[in-house]
Amino acid sequence: MTEQGHASYKSYWVVFVVLAVLTVLEIAVANRSLGIPRKPVALALITMALSKATLVGLFYMHLKSEKRALKLTVALPFLFPALYAVILIGEAGWRLIR
Amino acid sequence: MSVTATATLEPSPPAPHGLPPDVYFGEATVGKIGMWIFLLSDAFSFGGLLLAYGILRGGSEVWVHPGEPTLGISFTAFLTFLLICSSVTMVFAVAAAAEGNRKRTMLFLVLTALGGIGFLTGQFHEYFGLFPGGHGLVHEGLILGHSAYASTFYVTTSFHGAHVLTGTIYILITLARTAAGKTNANDVEVLGLFWHFVDLIWILVFTFIYLL
Repeated sequence: MTEQGHASYKSYWVVFVVLAVLTVLEIAVANRSLGIPRKPVALALITMALSKATLVGLFYMHLKSEKRALKLTVALPFLFPALYAVILIGEAGWRLIR
Repeated sequence: MSVTATATLEPSPPAPHGLPPDVYFGEATVGKIGMWIFLLSDAFSFGGLLLAYGILRGGSEVWVHPGEPTLGISFTAFLTFLLICSSVTMVFAVAAAAEGNRKRTMLFLVLTALGGIGFLTGQFHEYFGLFPGGHGLVHEGLILGHSAYASTFYVTTSFHGAHVLTGTIYILITLARTAAGKTNANDVEVLGLFWHFVDLIWILVFTFIYLL
């Protein structure tokens, strides 16, 4: 195995450990009996989920080592669902509380 | 054309798949770029489902109606861990294929397929209860069509389950073709993209549907 091969095997294991730890953290934070206010919990959960998804994309799907054009082709369109989510879910919530 | 641009267009050594590297996409094969475009369109399908869920939930005063069960976290957390493990075995299969090690590729493909089968069995158990006398969500009163909570749950998770099923069949076909010596590293890499995407989507589904 090449040196580069060793390095990528190591990164696969590191990502696996980070994914597992973040999953455990998510489950711990989501526990309602701890009585943490829901808004910071939701923010923490969304941040951790997006971090995990990014790790899978970058390291397991090898986006990290792709050319810039492919990275942008994949990454840019994801801004739109995020934008729609903020507008549409925000609007639904606003109608509820107004 | 500038001197720099001409320099980047100089012929490079042939890529492993026999096509010259592209100026913008490097050595990414047509199959790989095609899979990425498919995955993007698939991501928007999931995005639509998760958006519908967010809008319905964000705009409802009561989400879980009386008589409906809440979703079990611990069992699904186990399924999540199983899917993460199968992503590791898949990335090892891709690495083995890149090294030209056919036996190792096949071993890790088998382990990944087992992860997929385990996940599907777990999802069936969650819905319907696998063991005699076992209580699945349907039995506990979470019925498709009875509430937005039930419908968004079943539609989103079963759509993901359909992807796990497709992925598992895709793995088994690639495994058989690898055994027959008919695959190359690129075929396994493209398969890997699909499988990791299934894992990536589950990470989001698990957080949004189960934990939030």
